[in-house]
Amino acid sequence: MARLELTSVDKSFGAVSCAKGVSLTVEPGEIVAVFGPSGSGKTVLLRMIAGMFEPDGGDILVGGRSIVDAPPEQRGIGMAFQNFALFPHMSARDNIASGLRATGAADIATKVAAMSRLLKIEHVLGHRPRELSNGQKQRTALARALIGNPEVLLLDDPLRNVDAKLRYEMRLELPSLLRRSSAAVLYVTQDYREAMAIADRIAVLINGRLVQVARPEEIYARPASVAVARLFGDPSINLSEVTPVVEQGRLTAAVAGTLIRLDAGELSSAMRERCWLGVRPGDVVVTRHGGEGAIPARIVAVTPIHERAVVLLRFADGSEWLAALAPEALEAGADDDVFVRFAPEAALLFDHASGDRIGLSPRRQAA
Amino acid sequence: MDHSSLAGRIFRGIALALVLVFFMFPIVWILLMSFQSNEQILRIPPRLLFEPTLANYEALISGQLKTAAGNLQLTFMRNLMNSFILSSASVILALLLGVPAAYAFARFKFKLGETIAFTLLSFRFAPPLLVLLPLSLYYQQLGLNDTYFGIVWVYQLIALPLILWIVRGYFEDISPDIEHAYRLAGHSWREAFTRIAVPLAGPGIAAAGLLSFIFCWNNFVFALILASADKQPVTVGALAFVTASGIQYGQIAAAIVLSVTPTLLLALYAQRYLVEGLSLGAVKG
Amino acid sequence: MGMLEIRSVDKLYHSRGKPPVHAVRALDMEVKQGEIVALLGSSGCGKTSTLRMIAGFESVSAGSIALAQRPIHDLPPAKRKVAMAFEGYSLYPPLTVRENIGFALKAQQLSRAEIAQRVDSIARLVEIEDILDHHPRALSGGQQQRVSLARALVRDADLYLLDEPMGQLEPQLRAVLRGRIKGLLAERGMTAIFVTHDQTEASALADRIAVMEDGVLQQFGSERELKNRPANLFVASFIGEPPMNLLDMAVAQEEGGFRLSVGSDLAFHISRQTLDVTGQQALVQAERTKVGIRPQRIAIGSGEARLRIVSNQWLGDQSHVAGECAGHLLVAVTSGKIAARPGDIVPCALEARNLHIFGADGVCVRHAEAR
Repeated sequence: MARLELTSVDKSFGAVSCAKGVSLTVEPGEIVAVFGPSGSGKTVLLRMIAGMFEPDGGDILVGGRSIVDAPPEQRGIGMAFQNFALFPHMSARDNIASGLRATGAADIATKVAAMSRLLKIEHVLGHRPRELSNGQKQRTALARALIGNPEVLLLDDPLRNVDAKLRYEMRLELPSLLRRSSAAVLYVTQDYREAMAIADRIAVLINGRLVQVARPEEIYARPASVAVARLFGDPSINLSEVTPVVEQGRLTAAVAGTLIRLDAGELSSAMRERCWLGVRPGDVVVTRHGGEGAIPARIVAVTPIHERAVVLLRFADGSEWLAALAPEALEAGADDDVFVRFAPEAALLFDHASGDRIGLSPRRQAA
Repeated sequence: MDHSSLAGRIFRGIALALVLVFFMFPIVWILLMSFQSNEQILRIPPRLLFEPTLANYEALISGQLKTAAGNLQLTFMRNLMNSFILSSASVILALLLGVPAAYAFARFKFKLGETIAFTLLSFRFAPPLLVLLPLSLYYQQLGLNDTYFGIVWVYQLIALPLILWIVRGYFEDISPDIEHAYRLAGHSWREAFTRIAVPLAGPGIAAAGLLSFIFCWNNFVFALILASADKQPVTVGALAFVTASGIQYGQIAAAIVLSVTPTLLLALYAQRYLVEGLSLGAVKG
Repeated sequence: MGMLEIRSVDKLYHSRGKPPVHAVRALDMEVKQGEIVALLGSSGCGKTSTLRMIAGFESVSAGSIALAQRPIHDLPPAKRKVAMAFEGYSLYPPLTVRENIGFALKAQQLSRAEIAQRVDSIARLVEIEDILDHHPRALSGGQQQRVSLARALVRDADLYLLDEPMGQLEPQLRAVLRGRIKGLLAERGMTAIFVTHDQTEASALADRIAVMEDGVLQQFGSERELKNRPANLFVASFIGEPPMNLLDMAVAQEEGGFRLSVGSDLAFHISRQTLDVTGQQALVQAERTKVGIRPQRIAIGSGEARLRIVSNQWLGDQSHVAGECAGHLLVAVTSGKIAARPGDIVPCALEARNLHIFGADGVCVRHAEAR
């Protein structure tokens, strides 16, 4: 099988730049998720590989050979689309078999039967797409993409239009299904959990630029920038503007008027004027009791999300933070005055101007 | 919402009946006229009950028109045939040229694309009479006067813009991803066009084809000037009913019925496809 | 007496040449003053029809709807004193965002200063102060949705109806806005009903959730009730993320209760004391029964049962471990990271007290012990 390589690929439509020097390698059998906010250029990137757009600069290689000049049908690529893109006038069987027919493969019926058994759609093979549920449509589209044993598999947010329960099932099933094909897989998604669950590595794309490519746990623990940190986590990370100072040999910063001790780590060397302090809602502790390093706050509302209580807190200066904790750990309700703490090592610091993360906090390093 | 009372429903029924009578009356009246002799038609007051006669149809089909001034030769059946040949040939040619062009306009953004498409549409804006004089001079020079090909060519002014603009809309409604998927499955763009785009735009192509057939069928001016008696369609041939001894209303009515029938049958047959529309599932997520 | 009372409402859609569609069946619901209610279900479950009947865009086929003790099901929408935010936003394109939001207030003949003050305060709440002078077509989907929300919430109405109010919002903003809107509704004692297909949204915003399926109200209760005491199999498998694990088990009577088992791999003793009369009857009569356990209630690392790992996914703050146990695929969620690879066999704890047991008709006859 072959490796997929993108080397400094550029693409713009008029004044809008969709890809700026994107370089990425996907090994055979590897799943790389392309993740980013909407409009960040994920889909355009996939479409350049598939041959629907031509890159303005750079090269795309499969197994070491450039494919930018090859027409789509000769690129050896399988693709699944967000809107399924099934052929409406053909049965599910003919949809799946369409690729095999084009190459004149033998044993079409056997192969279609095996693939549909794997994806659990044997019972709907005779149906037209309009008679299928969204889940069945997506499985048919996946079968169609996988059946020709493509060297590169492109999945454009395939679970977007599938209902929550099915999406969860597919999230469990997909990784083994995709690895079985040993293709180089690029998986576009807008859901960070989906990216973390499915991918071996995640490529974070923001405004056409790859800002970080790393393993899921690495990105979550050590986001390269504020923008990346904000994308991973639901609810998303709390951010406060701080000016760290050294006091009695300790690095501290005032958050909403309260002086908080931060983890020194390698920070003293990387001291900046102003920073963004980031604390994930899951690392925020809400208590009834004050004390050193406890920020007074008022609870605006409590909303249960994903088996956790998400607490909207308002500080004296009007800024807001979120805390996510186990429902039984919360001893207060809306309109109560409480105190907020976090462990020094839970704080991430980012440069105010560039947004880049500063230093390494020890606990995160160990993760 | 259906908050309507009984009175409301009765009123609606009466209003609908009035509209129906208003629109259907001329058609029914022509049908009745076609089975009457000229004397019966011109009777005052007109009667709904009469002894039907097939004389009008006989005259048209045999080509012998009996008038007070004597017998006249009619070429109605030949005209009908001409209409058929001219309209069908025009529509087929327009489809062959227009469908690929519509696809190109729908799928590809190219320089002057919109301008070209609009120019083609603008052929419909010019009054045919203004175009005709120069055109007939050219045709005489080129030897195209009084040929089927010449008229079919001119008819492209009618059929091509219609097909181009209607079918283009249908192509634009098909998600390009469906064609991309077909190409990634290993098919060339030609196959994607013939096996995916054309079948999916089928209803639109049928609608556009039917409309342009009707427009070609009903055209009068082009054929009047550019064709002589043996190439003329029914619309021009109908002039023969205005004779020295008066207007042959019965025959006109019969001629109308005969010339409307093919288009009507075609429309009824195609209706199925027209209504089916593009809602074939999966086109939209 | 409730603020909104829906009494045995039916909705049938007739279309020519097809059998009528029964979109809502015998719906009974009472919403209290100041309560936030979510209508939750998958597409086609009747939730949107219900909302549109309350708003007055659909007539009721049978039954009655009363708002603040006034029957409203025969009134035109404008006379019902309801404010609605539409899923498709339906903003007025020629008006600026500010004019869109203030539109209904103008009709109420409020003073200019009062309107400006109200518009500004709601705009601040949903973070659209900076786009107040823009026109709708210049806005992103998320911004349009916030404008549409603001336009509904700024009005004085007896009832606020929100159709998928946050579906298009940027994920980074969603959690904060949910909190703020919930705070606003609670502070002013506003009564609201919103439609959603997203249970996270329903549980985050609503005081009570009405779960609908096939036009039938399946259960109406707080998020905690739905999770801890699901009425039937549908609610049990619909509510909760990841979905509840369901096992098909053989039933046998034994000393002091019942024995539920799958082959020889997995067996539970269900004590008679934990069952009420109907529960006991259901198990006496059944040979097999469906049993459910929430992924959060399966502990990994200790216990009698054995789980052959199929997948192990770390999502940053929790692990989702899926594995095979006694011929069923089970999913467990833990807050710590689990070091196991596909193919590994790990011990896991399934406890009898954590099981929901369902009768033959899908009705839940015993709930898991509350935590």
